[in-house]
Amino acid sequence: MASSSAGGPGSGDAAPPRRNSKRPKYSRFTQQELPACKPILTPRWVISAFLLVGIVFIPIGVISLFASQDVVEIVDRYDSVCIPKNFTNDKVKYIQSPGSKPPCHRILNVTKHMKQPIYVYYQLDNFYQNHRRYVKSRNDKQLRDPSSENDISGCKPEDSNSRGVIVPCGLIAWSLFNDTYNFSHNNQQLKVNRRGISWKSDRDHKFGKDVFPKNFQSGGLIGGGKLAYNVSLSEQEDLIVWMRTAALPTFRKLYGKIEVDLQKGDVINVTLGNYYNTYSFNGKKKLVLSTTSWLGGKNDFLGIAYLTVGGLCFFLALSFTLIYLIKPRQLGDPTFLSWNRGPGGH
Amino acid sequence: MYFLMVSILSATPYSPVHPVTNVVPLSLVLLVSLIKEAFEDWKRFQNDMAINNTLVDVLQDQRWECIPWKRLQVGDIVRVKQDGFFPADLLLLASTNPDGVCYIETANLDGETNLKIRKALERTWDYLTPDKACEFKGEVQCEQPNNSLYTFTGNLVMENQTLPLSPNQLLLRGCSLKNTQYIVGAVIFTGHETKVMMNSMNVPSKRSTLERKLDKLILTLFGTLFTMCLIGAIGSGVFINKKYYFLGLEKGVEDQFNPNNRFLVTLLTMLTLLTLYSTIIPISLYVSIEMIKFIQSTQFINKDLNMYHVETNTPALARTSNLNEELGQVEYIFSDKTGTLTRNLMEFFKCSIGGEIYGTGVTEIERGIAERNGIKLQEEKVTNAAHEKGFNFDDERLMRGAWRNEANSDACKEFFRCLAICHTVLPEGDESPEKIKYQAASPDEAALVIAAKNFGFFFYRRTPTMVYVRESHVERMGKIQDVPYEILNVLEFNSTRKRQSVVCRYPDGRLVLYCKGADTVIYERLAVGNDNLKKVTREHLEQFGASGLRTLCLAYRDLAPDMYESWNEKFIQAKSSLRDREKKLDEVAELIENNLVLIGATAIEDKLQEGVPNCIETLSRAGIKIWVLTGDKIETAINIAYACNLMNNEMKQFIISSETDAIREVEERGDQVEIARFIKEEVKKELKKCIDEVQQYFHNVSGPKLALVIDGKCLMYALDPSLRVMLLTLSLNCASVVCCRVSPLQKAQVTSLVKKGARKITLSIGDGANDVSMIQAAHIGVGISGLEGMQAVMASDFAIAQFRFLKDLLLVHGRWSYLRICKVVTYFFYKNLTFTLTQFWFTFNTGFSGQRFYDDWFQSLYNVIFTSFPVIILGLFDKDVSASLSKRYPELYKEGIRNVFFKWRVVAIWAFFAVYQSLVFYHFVTTSSSAAQSSSGKTFGLWDVSTMAFTCVVVTVNLRLLMMCNSITRWHYIGVGGSIVAWFLFIFLYSGLMTKHDRQENIYWVIYILMSTAYFYVTLLLVPVAALLGDFIYQGVQRWFFPYDYQIVQEIHSHEPDDSRTELLEIGNQLTPEEARSYAISQLPRELSKHTGFAFDSPGYESFFASQLGIKAPQKAWDVARRACARSKPKVSKKEKR
Repeated sequence: MASSSAGGPGSGDAAPPRRNSKRPKYSRFTQQELPACKPILTPRWVISAFLLVGIVFIPIGVISLFASQDVVEIVDRYDSVCIPKNFTNDKVKYIQSPGSKPPCHRILNVTKHMKQPIYVYYQLDNFYQNHRRYVKSRNDKQLRDPSSENDISGCKPEDSNSRGVIVPCGLIAWSLFNDTYNFSHNNQQLKVNRRGISWKSDRDHKFGKDVFPKNFQSGGLIGGGKLAYNVSLSEQEDLIVWMRTAALPTFRKLYGKIEVDLQKGDVINVTLGNYYNTYSFNGKKKLVLSTTSWLGGKNDFLGIAYLTVGGLCFFLALSFTLIYLIKPRQLGDPTFLSWNRGPGGH
Repeated sequence: MYFLMVSILSATPYSPVHPVTNVVPLSLVLLVSLIKEAFEDWKRFQNDMAINNTLVDVLQDQRWECIPWKRLQVGDIVRVKQDGFFPADLLLLASTNPDGVCYIETANLDGETNLKIRKALERTWDYLTPDKACEFKGEVQCEQPNNSLYTFTGNLVMENQTLPLSPNQLLLRGCSLKNTQYIVGAVIFTGHETKVMMNSMNVPSKRSTLERKLDKLILTLFGTLFTMCLIGAIGSGVFINKKYYFLGLEKGVEDQFNPNNRFLVTLLTMLTLLTLYSTIIPISLYVSIEMIKFIQSTQFINKDLNMYHVETNTPALARTSNLNEELGQVEYIFSDKTGTLTRNLMEFFKCSIGGEIYGTGVTEIERGIAERNGIKLQEEKVTNAAHEKGFNFDDERLMRGAWRNEANSDACKEFFRCLAICHTVLPEGDESPEKIKYQAASPDEAALVIAAKNFGFFFYRRTPTMVYVRESHVERMGKIQDVPYEILNVLEFNSTRKRQSVVCRYPDGRLVLYCKGADTVIYERLAVGNDNLKKVTREHLEQFGASGLRTLCLAYRDLAPDMYESWNEKFIQAKSSLRDREKKLDEVAELIENNLVLIGATAIEDKLQEGVPNCIETLSRAGIKIWVLTGDKIETAINIAYACNLMNNEMKQFIISSETDAIREVEERGDQVEIARFIKEEVKKELKKCIDEVQQYFHNVSGPKLALVIDGKCLMYALDPSLRVMLLTLSLNCASVVCCRVSPLQKAQVTSLVKKGARKITLSIGDGANDVSMIQAAHIGVGISGLEGMQAVMASDFAIAQFRFLKDLLLVHGRWSYLRICKVVTYFFYKNLTFTLTQFWFTFNTGFSGQRFYDDWFQSLYNVIFTSFPVIILGLFDKDVSASLSKRYPELYKEGIRNVFFKWRVVAIWAFFAVYQSLVFYHFVTTSSSAAQSSSGKTFGLWDVSTMAFTCVVVTVNLRLLMMCNSITRWHYIGVGGSIVAWFLFIFLYSGLMTKHDRQENIYWVIYILMSTAYFYVTLLLVPVAALLGDFIYQGVQRWFFPYDYQIVQEIHSHEPDDSRTELLEIGNQLTPEEARSYAISQLPRELSKHTGFAFDSPGYESFFASQLGIKAPQKAWDVARRACARSKPKVSKKEKR
């Protein structure tokens, strides 16, 4: 290296500033010498990274799993049970037949102490709330603003009927879930609070306080629930909940809250109004009673995932350590360089 | 085009996304590339303007008018002054020299620097002055423009007189006028019709091979896209059913969802999905790559101090930014000789007189050998400061008359006289040693005469019969006398004789024949006896040859007057014979050139460019094969190959030459067809023989390296389609190949032979116009800049000042560029695939309806904003090993030749992890969100889940980038951190605002809802780690068990500080004071260079150390800011570790 500079001029003649020198200016950017840290994934780093992940993840996993275990959840599928015996072969016909339907009675056993609030969910299956035709079939402006009442773009086919525009328009609103649940415990009515079940931002901003339903469910085909005409949309919380479309075809939506504790061994009578049609597409309907933890409802997935990842990391750390001890590779061993390995060596 | 189509599609009702979101990134990307193209075009335009507007004198209205080259027309009479370039192919009419002679230099065409003589027709000699010249009337009939540089036939018709024209009257564009005040010529061909331009092939638009491979990758992505769309579309056709009453499919359904026409549904959903999955094609990839390359070339290559040549004040210049990464994959280099490998400077370097070696110089090649053996050569710093051009010799024993004290002083005297007398050089200018200039047919000759001058035998005048030499110190020290020698006969040099002799008569009547020539021919003709001297001199010759010097043997013979007289008669007879004069002269010469007495040998250094052998050695260690293509003679070419380390005596040489007796014999018969056929046969035979031998060597592994030497005439036939394959197999098996006497076009043909035939990446380097076609034919053309003659640079893609800079250009810039671009491309591929696949998995859960998972703006800004900046940083700053290590381990370059980092296997691994990660993203997020996600029991909707997933994707993809970096600068942190922050800022704003014109408030308040839950944070930690786990395991295992070479080199030097700095210290002394200070600061220990991210908090830290070193460092605001950055860093780097 040193000899190559011998031919260069001494610094003597280069030092005086030459006006039209094309010599590039020295900067660390152009010379690509920006300071940098150069992480090298040495076995030690790999092992300690694995250990670290293991150490962090396993406790989180345990905590999450405990949180999930704490949650008490009662699930009851009622879609086929609540069809009268003579209609079992033609459920769709039953559910679509006009007229009142007899209430359906279900009994739920509380297996564990449930602290209030106990959340009541309905869970639908095979219901594609995330279908493109479905998702876009609404008009947010109309929902929010009374002056945009006639703005029904995107709402087809449920945009208007013979009486005029529909508020709220669109398929989502039209197919509003309308099964009803009444709970009683020891012949005593359990009050279900149906307020505060939607996200506040939806209530306050997406659904107008002075927007009222209009011509809703008054066409030929009734899709689902009806709305009280004199209650503003921002207070129709079941609609608001319903209209926050779900991500997956199996989803839970909040129906209400029971604000009393339930003891272990309690028997709860549910009086079901079975009106909603999931029979056309073989969808299940489930009633869910659940408490929550800090992490939400009963979901072991997070905890298990954390434990799996953490455990895997521990395992890897261990096996890497073993390999490291049994068959170490000297770091920076020049014999590993491909041109030193010779053509024969792999 | 594709993106345009998608944008149009997105404007149709089938689109799941809003058209604006597609159009905005597209136009952004187009705009950037438009600006870049415009900028480069403008620069090219400026260059062209510079050439086209060079002025030339043209005869107009009896006056010389200056007009720019571009307005020159055929038939114009132009005047070209001394040292000027000819603007077009000219017919020489008149010259200021007597006899209508002018001298031209054709270095730009064929690389030869000796002057050539052109002579005007006698009839036109007078048209020198404007008033005369305007009387010139004539008609030129000539052949169509063609590319043959050495032929020209035509007629000049003047006043009913037809005069034949030959190449002797033709001045080609690209040559320059020398030793002539000015000439007047008529323009015959201009512009593209000139022979130089006909020789240059059409400028091919060059794209790098990597980019072409990238196209294939993009095509694969298209394939994937269509497969995905097809799956989705078929699914949608199957899925759609009236039973999903909530979809309102009963009446008046638009085509896309009409269950009664499933085929149409499939078709239209295809279109929908096409727009939905369009993100799989990285829209900003090409633009990002171009941007990266542009900065690489303008900021890194052009401004590299290691490639700045001080003497000529030339930095490197990347004329195109398309080929940066191609530089990292070059396997064959085609190099011109003159001006590229050599300086075209002959220097008298050593000599052997009477069995004694004189001369202390050390050639580059010797230095190289010594360095390899670990011997430190004492640096001969004092290469006598005032040494003359052409003379690089220093030995106290010979200089300033000291030779008189040598044992063999008589031999010395003869030696010097031989040098001073036996030549065909013309002295020019003042007759003083300092001012005289020698005009020689070859620079070798001039060097020898200059040597004689320096030894005190100053040749200063030549008349047709006499040579005058001013001899010093001959009879006694300090005495100077002018001695006239009568030159009786000159037996000239030609390629068959390989020697030159002069018969001269001393003033005292002594008759001597001085002879100089190749050792083989001289030794054949030596008198018997004195075997010891012969042996020693031969050893010396071999020694010189091994050092890469050009040797000549000197000999003399005392002639008896009567013997001479009888010979002279024969000579005169031969000279006046009409038939076969040349042959007869040779025969006569043979009669007298025998019984010679050996005096000694000269060794001339064909001065190599600085550092050439070292560079070539390094490059060949890097797995690059270097071919020399030169217009020179075969001997010269071989000699240079030796000097450059391309060949050595251990190598097995195959020489295919047309200079064999058999071929010459046929040639003498003169039947063109017969010659062609015969040479072709010969060449074929030779090739076959060589290949057979090669096969033999190939079988035993430890065989010698092979070298092939082939000359232009043979090459012409060998390039014939029928022999081409043979030539290729032969030459590819050779470590080095030398082609001599090749025309510019042949250079290009050889280049494209390897380029197309072997599908290897080629680089051509040259300095003259004769290299232009070669430069254009190769994948990469490199021009040597800084000297006169810009044609090569104009045609090139990169211009450097010195051959040795090739080392930096290839091993450092090329390798890094290749590495970076590979990483950028694979990363782009990965991030888009990952992102799109999450979308794809979602499709399965939406009844294949083509519902988008993410909000429109997420989707379109993903490529443009949230993930684009860090990857550019990566493309600019990533380096695996430092510049000096790259040069120290040239073998690392082989990874580029083998294309290790952009194989399908690499892509497949990335693809695999992309699939894995997308599955993690989608399923982890959706599965975990099935129940309530907050203690308030409320559930998430579609947009909550997708925002969650998108956040995970952005975070992961950005962290993945950090994982693949070899060096992490603060720009990386800014880039990666900035991208993640940008996403959060964006989502905070986007979901926080609700405007009147909002289409759908899907995202309204979503992020706030998400962030109010513990679930968000738990998932955000889990998903990226789980997603990156796979990659991390892979990287760890790969590094551990199957390390790449560069990784080992990293490990070897992991504990050394960045040693590129020590190397730069040399440059340090050229820095301006201000730069020196910033440089010195950069030398200080620095918190950012430590891996731990340990940060000093002492505010005066830098200035403290700086002041200790005597440097004043101003406390700047950004210092504080940077330190703040450094403090926040550990958190990021910790995440990256997982």
